[in-house]
Amino acid sequence: MSLKYGVLGLLKGEPLHGYEVKNRFEAMLGGTWEVNIGQIYTTLQRLERDGLVRPVGRRGDRGKQSYELSPEGHKALDQWLAEADSGPQQLHEDIYVKLLLATRIANGGLQQMLARQKRAYLQRLRDLNRLEERARRDGRIDLARLVRGALLHTEADLKWMDELSSERFGAEGGAAE
Amino acid sequence: MSELVRLDNVSKVYQGGITGALNNMSVSVEKGEFTAIMGPSGSGKSTMLNLVAGLDRPSSGTVAVGGTNLGNLGESALARFRRDHIGFVFQFFYLLPNLTALENVLIPAQLKGNDANVRGRELMEQLGIPDVADRYPARLSGGQQQRVALARALINNPTLLLADEPTGALDTKTGDQVMELLGQLHRDGQTILLVTHDAKLATRHAARVISVMDGKIVDDARLESPERAPSEVIRVRGEEASR
Repeated sequence: MSLKYGVLGLLKGEPLHGYEVKNRFEAMLGGTWEVNIGQIYTTLQRLERDGLVRPVGRRGDRGKQSYELSPEGHKALDQWLAEADSGPQQLHEDIYVKLLLATRIANGGLQQMLARQKRAYLQRLRDLNRLEERARRDGRIDLARLVRGALLHTEADLKWMDELSSERFGAEGGAAE
Repeated sequence: MSELVRLDNVSKVYQGGITGALNNMSVSVEKGEFTAIMGPSGSGKSTMLNLVAGLDRPSSGTVAVGGTNLGNLGESALARFRRDHIGFVFQFFYLLPNLTALENVLIPAQLKGNDANVRGRELMEQLGIPDVADRYPARLSGGQQQRVALARALINNPTLLLADEPTGALDTKTGDQVMELLGQLHRDGQTILLVTHDAKLATRHAARVISVMDGKIVDDARLESPERAPSEVIRVRGEEASR
């Protein structure tokens, strides 16, 4: 995911200065992606260099500079929004490799590993559910939507654990090549 | 907390197949707990519920509810036990079609010889269906039917509420509402045993998740409920501000 387009998207509504961009970005993502103000300034400078945003008005208090989207910025944002995310699936977590290794290593303890992981995912679902509840209660709809995506994602991971668990291929061998 | 349900070395053998059989299962449930039982089809989770409800008897081992060993009860005593202590909701509601919603709700009370008209209406109000009392099941939505079934399950103030895939025949939103009602009942002190496929729903309300496979308990997870900051639960990964 790209900070660049996040910043462009926030500037689409109205001109903002760096701190406003940072605050709105973090509010939208509900604290699930923390950015420091330096990253925001660097991003704004690069966007200005590339002609996608331009300074608007004069520098205000303490040198605060607001930016707005240029016509090119609008175009770039619209293009990005219209593009489907079609790259390879991102599997970041260690568990994917851990499980494959556990099936190859004799006595890899695959079933125990699956059981531990399943329990961790159940706890994660519990945490996500509670976060969603709080987000909805506080009217933080963006965060609630994001949490919903994470819930469904974790549910899928859990189903994969169940599939692996009933395959029992660790016990039947044929895993090591 | 005190123990409400206890299974000791319970096995259930079905003739002609192993589907739903239980294999030497032991577990106990405390009063006030909301426990979810999860597992694939045929793993034995519904069998567990039926044994606890006294709807079925184990092939061996003992099932006790509230200190009563169900194996010591004859058929009529077992029926009384069910009527007085167990509320049960099912996936497909099982309302009697030629009785109104309220009449359905009142059946267990009438079996007990109680006039529970007032409580029945109160329960229907509490469950958000005060205006369907005089309607017949065929004229109710799935969500309304399940609420009627829930009111019927609660009419005799059961010690234990059992729910077998109560959201299985409902759309997501209606299912969420029914689960929310179960959550509220639990917060008011109701002990609940829930069988479900849906891990999202299970973990939203139940702090304990028992996983069953091939008639055995393969995991018994007691989940924590801390207030975690969003960044401790989800991390959205961003590219560094390069390029």
